[in-house]
Amino acid sequence: MSKLKVGIIVFLGTNCELDTKRACEFFGWDVEYIWHNDKIKKKYDLIFIPGGFSYGDHISSGRIAKLSPAVKSLPVGKSLIVGICNGFQILCEAKLLSGALIDNQNIKFISKVADLNFKGEKISLPIAHHQGNYFCKNIDEKQILMTYQNNENGSDMSIAGIYDRKNRIIGMMPHPERAIYEELGLTDGRKVFEFVKNEI
Amino acid sequence: MKKFSAKIIVKMKPTIKDIKGLTLKRAIESFIGIENLSCNVGSYYLLKFEANNEIEALHTVEKIAGEILSNEVIEIYEIKALEEVYE
Repeated sequence: MSKLKVGIIVFLGTNCELDTKRACEFFGWDVEYIWHNDKIKKKYDLIFIPGGFSYGDHISSGRIAKLSPAVKSLPVGKSLIVGICNGFQILCEAKLLSGALIDNQNIKFISKVADLNFKGEKISLPIAHHQGNYFCKNIDEKQILMTYQNNENGSDMSIAGIYDRKNRIIGMMPHPERAIYEELGLTDGRKVFEFVKNEI
Repeated sequence: MKKFSAKIIVKMKPTIKDIKGLTLKRAIESFIGIENLSCNVGSYYLLKFEANNEIEALHTVEKIAGEILSNEVIEIYEIKALEEVYE
């Protein structure tokens, strides 16, 4: 079986591209970066929009990044698209996922390990965000991918991640790429990456 | 081409909890000693640009405000002023 082809979009201000690349390499996937100013022309099995502070989070997180050539040329429905943290914010701002991410309920930046419910399991993953409070008017419960056990940021229905199966787009605030290697103390991120792989 | 300036305010929809506004309300009420203050926090933008006429200018401002400066899911925008600038 050929290796998975993975693209990771890098914006000005992205800071999780290397973690995401290293996580992909743990699984033996072929990874390359996609510069935000380039249109996506190559065929990828999986495209990550990693965490960080694209365009300095000016106006609002992900608000400017949604206008970039890379986001505008995302192969929706063809590649599986996964947005992590800032990537989730970008996908919501681009209306590729429903809802929006607003300031955390305590208006503080939250950086901690969060306990989550994921596919019937309890897992722990790092979270690090200021605008991770997920707001949605209506969401099909089938779209909910993971929830917080303690709803750290005040999200509607404690939602931490969603999955639009029709368009094959996943968005999540927790950072599974930071919980792959044993040296970092957490390995539950592997379960999320394995789930992603099985969805391709 | 004519030059125009526009003033835009973006704020949270009334149905969305304005967390910064609520925090500021509590702080002001505590520091100043007043009660039942209503406080909303938003953003103010001043744009200057060129357009052929006022209709085209309005269309440009609505596009910028609606598609870039605000997110219709959670926010509303108000164009407070749109006027031709003579410099």
